[in-house]
Amino acid sequence: MMNKAISTRLTFAVAILSLLIFIILWQVIAQQGLLVKNFPGSFKTIASLIWWVSDPFFDNGPNDLGIGTNLLISLRRVLIGYSLAVLVAIPLGVLMGMSKLAQSSLNPYVQLLKPVSPLAWLPVGLFVFRNSEITGIFVIFITSIWPTLINTAFGVASINPDYLRVSKSLGANKSITIRRVILPAIMPNILAGMRISMGTAWLVIVAAEMLLGTGIGYFIWNEWNNLSLENIFVAIIIIGFTGFILDQFFGFLQDKFDYSI
Amino acid sequence: MNKKSSKISTSIENYSHLELANLGKIFFKEKKFIDFRSKGNRRGFEAIKDINLKIEKNTFVSIIGPSGCGKSTLLNLIAGLQAPTSGKIIIDGQAIKGPGPDRGVIFQNYALMPWLTTIQNIEFALNTVFPAKTKADVKERARKYLRMVGLEKASNKFPKELSGGMKQRVAIARALSINPNMLLMDEPFGALDALTRSYLQDELLSIWRKNKVTVVLITHSIEEALLLSDKIVLMSSGPSAIISEEISVDLERPRDREKIEQDPRYLKIKMRLEKHLLRETRAVEEVT
Ligand SMILES: Nc1ncnc2c1ncn2[C@@H]1O[C@H](COP(=O)(O)OP(=O)(O)O)[C@@H](O)[C@H]1O
Ligand SMILES: [Mg+2]
Repeated sequence: MMNKAISTRLTFAVAILSLLIFIILWQVIAQQGLLVKNFPGSFKTIASLIWWVSDPFFDNGPNDLGIGTNLLISLRRVLIGYSLAVLVAIPLGVLMGMSKLAQSSLNPYVQLLKPVSPLAWLPVGLFVFRNSEITGIFVIFITSIWPTLINTAFGVASINPDYLRVSKSLGANKSITIRRVILPAIMPNILAGMRISMGTAWLVIVAAEMLLGTGIGYFIWNEWNNLSLENIFVAIIIIGFTGFILDQFFGFLQDKFDYSI
Repeated sequence: MNKKSSKISTSIENYSHLELANLGKIFFKEKKFIDFRSKGNRRGFEAIKDINLKIEKNTFVSIIGPSGCGKSTLLNLIAGLQAPTSGKIIIDGQAIKGPGPDRGVIFQNYALMPWLTTIQNIEFALNTVFPAKTKADVKERARKYLRMVGLEKASNKFPKELSGGMKQRVAIARALSINPNMLLMDEPFGALDALTRSYLQDELLSIWRKNKVTVVLITHSIEEALLLSDKIVLMSSGPSAIISEEISVDLERPRDREKIEQDPRYLKIKMRLEKHLLRETRAVEEVT
């Protein structure tokens, strides 16, 4: 058996080594023009990254925002749209899981709308709201609703019948049963759904913002217009890192609510 | 009348606590195809029929029968968790309409809520049944019942940290905490090892002696039924299972595990039960 501390240190060393090799290979390939001409190398990208991160929150008008400012704009849209979606999806999911009538009347819409790219709703949002900010939130709302809704409904439908029997045998009413039994019992399902919802929302916001102006997605679009590929790589790194943190947060919550042995 | 002399002090209490009158249950399936193998009514599955039974107050009654005959179904009906298709369940002279805190139910899989600690599981029952009680009252009472099953130290543990026997003790404490006068148990010790089972059987007996409760116990263990019960009810194999026999166990209490096994009365009933179970189980095996 390997010592745990040594094994952790080894894993870390391997990761650092692989990163170094990647950075060097990238630099060499770019410098030699092996891919295409003028492809930014890793050194240039890292320099860019340091530049953007050292002063992240400047604001010189919509086409010249600090990367932190853009990131916060995107996060704000995601958080609002996502929270609204979760607030709708959980009660609706519980209803669908509990009632055959709700299930059979709502399920066709869910099944039909779930596979549609949320970006298809973007023109609809623009037409209805005439406001790019609200449209962005609306698109995230549509994006986030399905995984949480479906997981919640599934959780309720597959809840351990023992819990419901205990609750019923004690004469608990519907409200107590939902609040004190069903909701805690399906927390793992809800969180799994919320995690997928967040992941998808974070994917979609970048694409949506290319069409909406401001935000990290628009930053990428803007830098494409500036033909500044290294800045696009900076954005990719920042987006990836933020998505990773968000996902880890839900991973942490899922561990907290893991009732199994 | 020596069998109840320790339990029943006045003859007034000696009336029937629970009465099942022509009780029947048919499960109607929503399946889209017809299962040709299922016997009986094509539209439904008749689990039990024409069940008539009287159980006296504060007695200990076991129900025994081949697996799948409808014992759990019967217990769920008495608990009010399912509605009978026909017949009535009469408790203290009143036909029941659903579940109620007069009956504490104990399930085979303990059915503890995994997101609640031991004491919170009991508090949940108390809060549900007595919404007017104060927090402190509820906590105190939950503690008292945990103490009763010897688990006061485990009050802040989660079910996953407990052994099967400890979980079942929490479930017993939860069922008793609401102060029911009837305890309904569905194979409560079936999943436990032999030693834990004996220990919990003794504990159940001592609880039963101290708290005035009528116990209905589903079991598949002949020895368990004989050790614990005043009366053993035998069910026939399903579908359409009926009560085929009721046997009084006229053995003095307290019963000593080793000693009663030598008792000729014990052996006589045991043989009768074994024969019955063998016959009914054979009937099941030959149908399927
Ligand atoms: N909800 C249900 N729907 C359909 N059939 C059921 C249902 N519950 C039990 N049954 C059937 O009723 C019979 C009796 O079941 P059960 O009461 O669980 O038996 P036991 O507890 O004696 O093993 C079984 O054949 C079982 O398949
Ligand atoms: Mg059963």
